[in-house]
Order: sequence, then C-alpha cells, then structure tokens
Amino acid sequence: MPQEDQVIICRCEEVSRKEIQEAIAEGASTVNEVKLRTRAGMGLCQGKSCRRLVSQILAEQTGQPIGEIMPATFRPPVRPIPIGVLASGDDGEQNDVS
Amino acid sequence: MFPDVVIIGGGIIGCSCAYYLSREGVRVCLVEKGTIASGTSRAGQSHIILWEEPEINLKLEKASRSLYEALSEELPFDIEYRRTGSMAIVENQADWEPFERTVRSLQARGLNCQLLKGDDLLRLEPNLAPDLVGGAFFPEDAQVNPMLTTLALAQAAKKMGAVIRPFTEVIGIELSLDKKVVAVDTTAGRIPTGLVVNAAGVWSAAIGKMIGLDIPVVPRRGHIIVTEPVPDNLINCKIILAAGYMQTLGATGGVAMSANIQQTRSGNLLLGSSRDFVGFDWSVNPEVIRAQAARNLRFLPALAEIHAIRTYAGLRPYSSDLIPIIGEADTVQGFYVATGHEGAGITMGPITGKLISKMMTGQGSDLPVAQLSLSRFSQGQKGV
Repeated sequence: MPQEDQVIICRCEEVSRKEIQEAIAEGASTVNEVKLRTRAGMGLCQGKSCRRLVSQILAEQTGQPIGEIMPATFRPPVRPIPIGVLASGDDGEQNDVS
Repeated sequence: MFPDVVIIGGGIIGCSCAYYLSREGVRVCLVEKGTIASGTSRAGQSHIILWEEPEINLKLEKASRSLYEALSEELPFDIEYRRTGSMAIVENQADWEPFERTVRSLQARGLNCQLLKGDDLLRLEPNLAPDLVGGAFFPEDAQVNPMLTTLALAQAAKKMGAVIRPFTEVIGIELSLDKKVVAVDTTAGRIPTGLVVNAAGVWSAAIGKMIGLDIPVVPRRGHIIVTEPVPDNLINCKIILAAGYMQTLGATGGVAMSANIQQTRSGNLLLGSSRDFVGFDWSVNPEVIRAQAARNLRFLPALAEIHAIRTYAGLRPYSSDLIPIIGEADTVQGFYVATGHEGAGITMGPITGKLISKMMTGQGSDLPVAQLSLSRFSQGQKGV
C-alpha cells in the first residue's frame, strides 16, 4: 500500500493527495484554484472522477463545510470529441469515437 | 498598518504590479473580487509575442520578454517559460505580399525574424497543409503558463510582505475635496491609502466610473479549444499562427477568426483565436467553436483525429487603439491605471508591473511612457 499522501487523486494527470494538500497550504481555497496549481482535473476526463475528492480534501484541510466549497467549472464538450467532428458541426455525443 | 498602495485586480497585471512594488519595499495590499487568476488571465493561450505593433507595443514586448527571462529564475515555482519562437503562416498568394512587407518592415526596425517560402516552411513543419504559401519565423518569441505566472507573482509578493485579499470586491473609492485618493471601500471593509492601481482589466472602466473617470476599455471575447496531449513532433515550433491574426485584432465587428496553434509544456494544444464584442458574456458559443475548429484544421489537417477535451471563452480588456493604458490619471492624484492590454496582457504583464513600480517610486524609464497615458484619449491624439 502506498503512503496515504501518495495516493493519486487525479488519475489523468497523476496528481497525488500530497500535491493537492500543498496547493491548499499555499492558499488555494476552491477546486479551480487547486486545478490551476496542480493540473488536477485538467486531463482527459476533465475532473469527472477527482473533483469530488478535491472538494473533500479542501473541506478536511480548511474546515469549511463541503457544501460551501466552490465547485469546479463545467465546460463543453461533455466527452472528448475529434476536432474533425467538431469542425463539421455534427458533434452530437453519439459521434464520440474515443 | 495601512498599505501604501491598494492594487485592484488579481490578474497578471495586478500581481505583476504587486511583485515589482514589493521589491521596491512598498507596502502593498491587493484586492481581488474572485480568486487569483480567475478572470482574463486564465482564459488565454501561452504566447509571449514580440511583433505585435505599433512601435510602442514592440518596445513593451521586448522589455517584458527580458523580464520574463529573469522571472523564470526568480519566482518561487516553475512558470513553464521557454523560448519557443513563433511561426506565422500564410494561407494564399493574395496575403503573401502584405505579409512580406510587414516582416521586412519589422526587420528594418531591428526585429530578428526570417521569411520562409512554402518549401522551407514544410521542411520545418511537415504536418502543415501542403498548399500554404509560406510564413516567417520569429525566434525571440517565447511561451509561458499564464495561470502559474500570475499565481507565482502573487506568492512571491506575499513573501515580501504584500497582503493578498481574494473575495474582496471594490465598491467605492474615496477622494478628498482636492481630488486625492484617501481610501478604497470594499465588501470586506474600508482600506485607507493614498495610492491605488486600477488593474481590474475588463472591469477597469467600472472602477474608473466610481470616481468619474472615463477609461475607454471594453470586454472583447475570445474562445479557446483545448485538445488532449499530442506527440511532440506534431508541430516542431510550439506556437504557429496564421498571419491573419493581426487583422483579427484590428477587426471591429462580427466574429473575427484566425488559426492559432500552441502546444503547452504538458503536451496539450490550445487552439485559438477568435474575437467578438458581446459585453460581459463569458459563455462559450458552440458556433464560434465549430468555425474555430474548422479554421485550425485548414492549416493543420492532422488535427482531424485529435480530441478536443475542453473549450473556454474569456474577455480581453480592449482599448480602441490596442495600446495599453499605464500611468497616473491626471485628474485624480494617486490613482494609477494599468489596463487595456487586450490579448497581450500575458506578454506585457511584467513590464507593466515594472513601469507602475517605477512611476510610483519616482524613478524614470527609458520607454516613452507618455504614449501610454490615459489622457491620450481625452486629448484626441493617437498613441503612436
């Protein structure tokens, strides 16, 4: 078992709990700030798996209730989409070939 | 203890001012209505450009790039600065002559750049569309991570004693009867100070209005598409932009669009670039994204199979002559303005902070700062 602070929180960008804790210690107080500092949530899944975990760590470390942690911004596309498909304008999710 | 200076805005401009003023021993308080780098500074690409005219901008860009060289060593963490150069590419024969004239004129004024005919271009960048007529390489250009730079400047300023206050919005500025700055009122209380820097970017006009000052800066939207990380050899030069980019900046109506392909150090591509005037609308317009994807695809056909993972839009602080406004307002003592950089805020952030710190501490500059003054608009003179 890895040390608890070595656990990977963002698997796409391989960001550990420790790196997230360090970003919070340096002043990050929202999920977006943690993202800008560490890249957690910037990968292929765009934070689908890690953003709740990041909120939890923020709540633990700052003592704020989890409901008051400012959530990450959601932006299109919902899933990765090839530029060629995006350019054609036919970018319904059924066209996602990933 | 009260601060000597209150800086309004925690973007690249405000944080750069905080950094250089703190280095001069000035007591700084920076107020930001959201969080550091949460507005325009998180919504651009990565290019430090040294060939955006007019002449005064060329001087600012060159000076700022030198400061970046130092910052990449001085700041407390890596800002992903690297000297990439940039490549401008020309789509068709009709565009070649005006482009060649522009490049020759830049060369004549001492800018290091080389024209490339079609075959030379393709030898350097084999994945570009084979029918492009040519381009030019600008070896002095560089790249940086704007968010990390802004955060690092804020953190370094804080270490030197600056107070950084997020979630603190300015609601008023108090002046004395003889029009000197006395205090800044915020949602978190009143801050007495004799000096203010308005570095509020797209919101700087609203801040000016609080004291009856007309600052002609309006928001101008730009969209970006982020792709998955791609192999390093897809593009060899990490910043490749269609030569039409400069016309895009000068456009005044509709949606101006031009291809702008930048690969960040993490391997992702940032695909720009569009401009439209939509007020304070930060939302992504799917139709602009579609057209922008098509425009980039036209120059780099290999993009077809590469996945977009995110899109975003941001507002750039546009001044009508595309020259930033840096200096003290001549009607209100102690009120300084540092805004209006449009898409060049990242490029010019360091020199803007440096100039503000020099002006506020009574030091001179070799740069023709009179051309940057707010009063150029009221006097009806152009900044060139």
